Amino acid sequence: MTTLRRRSSLRSTQQRMAVLFILPALAVYALFVLYPLAMSLWGSFFIWKGLRMVEFAGLSNFSRLFVFPSGARLYGALWHNTAWFFGIMVFQNGIGLLFAWLLFLRDKGAAFFQSVFFFPAMLSPVIVGALWRLLLAPGGVIEWALNGLGLHQGSLTVLGNSHIALATLIAVDAWNWMGLPVLIYTAGLRQISGQIFEAAKLDGAGSARMLFSVALPLLMPALGTLTTLSFINTFNQFDIVYVMQGVQGNPSYSTDTLVTYFYRLAFGAEGAVGITDIGLALALGTMLFLILGTGTLMMLRFFDRRTVQL
Amino acid sequence: MSALAISQGPALSRQLARLPGWAVLSVWTAAVLLPLYILVVSCFKTTAEIYDNRLGLPQSFAFDNFVSAWTRANLGQNFVNSLIVTGGAVILTIVVSAMAAYPLSRYKLGWNAIMLGLFLSGIMLPIRLASVELFTLMRNLGLLDSLTGLILVYSAIRIPFAVFIFANFMRVLPSELDEAARMDGAGEARILFQIILPMVKPAVSIVAIFTAIAVWNDFFFPLIFIFDDRYKTVPLAISVFVGQFRTDWGLVFASLAISMAPILIMYCLLARQIREGVGAGGGMK
Repeated sequence: MTTLRRRSSLRSTQQRMAVLFILPALAVYALFVLYPLAMSLWGSFFIWKGLRMVEFAGLSNFSRLFVFPSGARLYGALWHNTAWFFGIMVFQNGIGLLFAWLLFLRDKGAAFFQSVFFFPAMLSPVIVGALWRLLLAPGGVIEWALNGLGLHQGSLTVLGNSHIALATLIAVDAWNWMGLPVLIYTAGLRQISGQIFEAAKLDGAGSARMLFSVALPLLMPALGTLTTLSFINTFNQFDIVYVMQGVQGNPSYSTDTLVTYFYRLAFGAEGAVGITDIGLALALGTMLFLILGTGTLMMLRFFDRRTVQL
Repeated sequence: MSALAISQGPALSRQLARLPGWAVLSVWTAAVLLPLYILVVSCFKTTAEIYDNRLGLPQSFAFDNFVSAWTRANLGQNFVNSLIVTGGAVILTIVVSAMAAYPLSRYKLGWNAIMLGLFLSGIMLPIRLASVELFTLMRNLGLLDSLTGLILVYSAIRIPFAVFIFANFMRVLPSELDEAARMDGAGEARILFQIILPMVKPAVSIVAIFTAIAVWNDFFFPLIFIFDDRYKTVPLAISVFVGQFRTDWGLVFASLAISMAPILIMYCLLARQIREGVGAGGGMK
């Protein structure tokens, strides 16, 4: 009887203590993340005057998003983000797999190479973007080197060329984050039992066979993590574009992304027309939220189903 | 280390077969280190010297560029601001997240799972999309142009990840720990901060490291919330320098080096923990 009462009094004390303990974190999180996010989604269905919600507008913000003059910007940015994602999947997560495999095959130096490869990922994309902007600038060291090697003549203007500016930014982003796939794949490879590779080798599998037929299927959780992270990061891409090409995604919007477009709609473009369109910005935000949400869930399920249990 | 390495044939032919692999790894090492090397040597050069002598060591290791970046470009102030914001956000995130994770992982409340789920959903939420409403909120609270405002926003963003890590580490501690302390009449706050938290030091360091990196490097929120030069953080200041001091390359390189320094020091001290933390869960971002 007494133990029962003590236990139930412990229960109610615990309930009270729990509320007290959780409240600070919940309050900060709810006020600065959940509330603004919910209000942004809700606000995308309203007409806005400046920073004030005026009246309910149904889906009209969304339909405005897809037609002139917003349509060209939206489809452009959507295409750039998609290209960025696939570029990163190939050049960062693909080449990263090769690096991780090479490191896995070597008993010496893995920690050193991993540390070097990962270092740029520690840096702010702003620092990385600023550094590469200086290196790639006309008169910069890369122009000098290419001229010296006879690979290029005259002034180097990759960042001013609308055909290759986007590819250059993707390469800089891959340089920034190459260490991430290397670390995640090597951690995944180390978890695979050595006996599996031994058996494959006895069957006469070469190193390439071993990587693609034996290791890769077992690396599905690592690949899933990387694909999802890369998807979220590329569709949130902003810093590198802002620092290297400005908030307009120069030249002539060829490096514009969904978030730089969102930023211009929400906070006005510097220099050019400083006009904001909050309704349109919030509609774009809601759309991006849906893209990220459904994309992430689909990827998690896709890789979950392909995970091989041993 | 790996099973493959042990049982190979003759040593020499094995080493030869590995040459292409070493070459590939060396190429990327050069691709990472060369830009950083150019950054470091350019810090000590005047702009004219940067043009004359691209790759060589500087004529003298003069600190003029660092001095003018720190004082003339006022990077010193930005540096202090970044330190305050990063330190504040790390401490606030650790304290409130550990407090929330303790009952959520160790009490039987009946609503642990729901509440934990609410926190965890925040790991994936694209908070940048909420920046319009967040701006209005910050303005109404008088938190624009304020380091406190940045600390609160960053803590809010990092709390989900921190609660997740703390809850995972606390869940596996034996329940005798807090029960014994409770018998001795210790209060819940004392149990958490004097018994549980010291037991989950690895969690504390993971949360501290990754919160510090994310906050120190962030650019988006200062860009939106900070207008006054006195409150700008390092990445925001750098984004201005790149355009403003376009012709003074030495100064820009020096300010990049200054802004990297704390991260580099941390990386040298904690490289192993960081590598393992990232490898385990991709705990970044």
